[in-house]
Amino acid sequence: MKNGMTALASAVALGLGLSGAVQAQNDSILIGVQVPTTGSEATYGQDMYNAAELAAEELNAEGGVLGMDIELINGDSACDPQQSVNAAGNLVSRGVQGIVGGYCSGATMPTLKVYGDEGLPFVITASNSTQLIPANPGNAFMINSTGADQSKKAVDFFESQGVERLAIIDQGDSYSQDLADLTAERWESMGHEVVRETVNKGEQDFSAVVSNVRSNDVDAVFWTAYYADGGLLIRQLRQGGYRDIIAVGDGSNSPQLFEIAGGAAEGVYAFSNPTAEFLPAAASFIENYRAEYGQDPGPYAPLNYDGLKLLAWAMEKAGTTDPAAVVDALASADGESWLTGPITFTDENTLARSNFIILEGEDGAWTYSEN
Amino acid sequence: MPALETFLQAIVNGLVLGSFYALIALGYTMIFGVIKLLNFAHGDVYMVGAFVGFGALSLVSGVFGAGWTGLFIAILISMVAVGFLGVIIQRVAYQPMLSAPRLSILITALAVSLVLQNGALSLTDGKYTAFRTDLGFGGFEFGRLFISHQAIVLVATAAVLMIALEFFVSRTMYGRAMRAVSIDKDMCRLLGINVNRVVAITFLIGSALAAAAGTMAGAYYGSIWYFMGFLIGLKAFTAAVIGGIGSITGAMLGGLILGMLESFGTQIPWIGSEWKDVFTFAILILVLVFKPTGLLGKSEVERM
Repeated sequence: MKNGMTALASAVALGLGLSGAVQAQNDSILIGVQVPTTGSEATYGQDMYNAAELAAEELNAEGGVLGMDIELINGDSACDPQQSVNAAGNLVSRGVQGIVGGYCSGATMPTLKVYGDEGLPFVITASNSTQLIPANPGNAFMINSTGADQSKKAVDFFESQGVERLAIIDQGDSYSQDLADLTAERWESMGHEVVRETVNKGEQDFSAVVSNVRSNDVDAVFWTAYYADGGLLIRQLRQGGYRDIIAVGDGSNSPQLFEIAGGAAEGVYAFSNPTAEFLPAAASFIENYRAEYGQDPGPYAPLNYDGLKLLAWAMEKAGTTDPAAVVDALASADGESWLTGPITFTDENTLARSNFIILEGEDGAWTYSEN
Repeated sequence: MPALETFLQAIVNGLVLGSFYALIALGYTMIFGVIKLLNFAHGDVYMVGAFVGFGALSLVSGVFGAGWTGLFIAILISMVAVGFLGVIIQRVAYQPMLSAPRLSILITALAVSLVLQNGALSLTDGKYTAFRTDLGFGGFEFGRLFISHQAIVLVATAAVLMIALEFFVSRTMYGRAMRAVSIDKDMCRLLGINVNRVVAITFLIGSALAAAAGTMAGAYYGSIWYFMGFLIGLKAFTAAVIGGIGSITGAMLGGLILGMLESFGTQIPWIGSEWKDVFTFAILILVLVFKPTGLLGKSEVERM
């Protein structure tokens, strides 16, 4: 109700042509944080909000941005398209000068138009569907790598390991098949060989796959689906006498993989989003986060932290909070780096480099791999 | 000789798969034999067997370890416990329905299946449970052919169980009674055979075999979950139909045929492993169309 009243008041103010006056009165910079703090993804969303808050506190402690304090507004998207559009409209009407966040791609999609109409700078920190790219009016920037980037990371990795013949195994769902297709296409275009396999979800017996992998003399196996069946596959590959490289996609980056695969997951590689515990630059971030919130930062917290820092950097660089100038400044980001690595954008406003990191199974847990 | 190795590997894979199918198919076929019920809860009994075996292994691993000794004791515990669960299921769910139309008892079987599945779902939250053993990944390697110790022991255990069953059915008093009951229940009653006890023993043995298969599958594949019985139940049913439902030798044969078929079918170039289930159900349809009695089944003769 309170939000509704504010929206109404703002709408009246806009109607009277006073929006410039409203903004000019601010002695702080309003930033909307669009994350799902309620609903099924609430834990991730809360982690992300906390990370943005931490970043804002740090900035304010250092004198703020353009001499003004950063003030955050929670735009709860609830991972729901309808609610996220309402939240976006609400943020706009309250006069935010930029937005960070975006967790569920489906909920982020319709907000692109809302922010696009106002030309507001929007740093998308977790949503990474490639479908967001054509829908972007030009004011949104994605600092989380896409599936295409993961396939590139995978191909580079296999290349560096001297792999020639690669077996790619997916599960036929859109996530794993997309990643498998992208990787296979890239791998073949480099003149290497691919052996494709698809297994049914919930299948327990992978002996046919293991036998095909063995009889094709592959140098590496890439599992692109989730950990539950991936654990079984890894176990049966090792049980079936396969000794070469095994790598898994980010959907299998789970401690549960070790439970299910048992000792077989030792030495298995995983491609992953930059989660805090594996980012060398994030040690003090984790410490501060724990001190402030009494728990570990979730998987997307570092990205949201970086998102807010990037927005603040762009405002400083533009010397104003004027949306068009800030968007231009964002586009010109050239290797700016906080926790998750250097940020430079492509013409499509996606991250120029892949931010995927490689983990390796060691003593029943994931460790950071320098590969 | 890569082709020969691939061929031999497919045989090994087929034997392992076939052993599981056969052990479960035996329960289907025996229960159908004595009370003419397609017990669609049997796959879920296999699943419960896996969970009971898992619990038993964690209980005994302190004393016997989680290696072969511990696993065999866990299998035995699971066979006994789940065998009695089978008897309870029969008493509670099927016994009162025996004189009802066939369709009613079939639906009861589906209900039992749902109860077992959802029970396991609520106990485990639908998560995969890791089945940890100390068996390791050792085996014999001949070029690209790899036969793990686990596969050998598993197939051997299944064979021993099946031989024991064959002996029980053909040589013991209750085995003879079981065969007699499957032919004519009323006549058996008139001759003084305790039919209810025979039916109970059938459920005991059938469920115990499924429990053994479940525990071995858990140890072999390394993870168990509440839905693991569904598909394998349907496949074991198919195996029983291929062999001729009601025939014990037929169930063993059907299980092996199915295992081999899946194992070799997926080795055909251009046919990936996602086609595995297609072989099973295609052969089920073919058998039902062209030889509904199965390979070793006898056609029903109406006697006047």
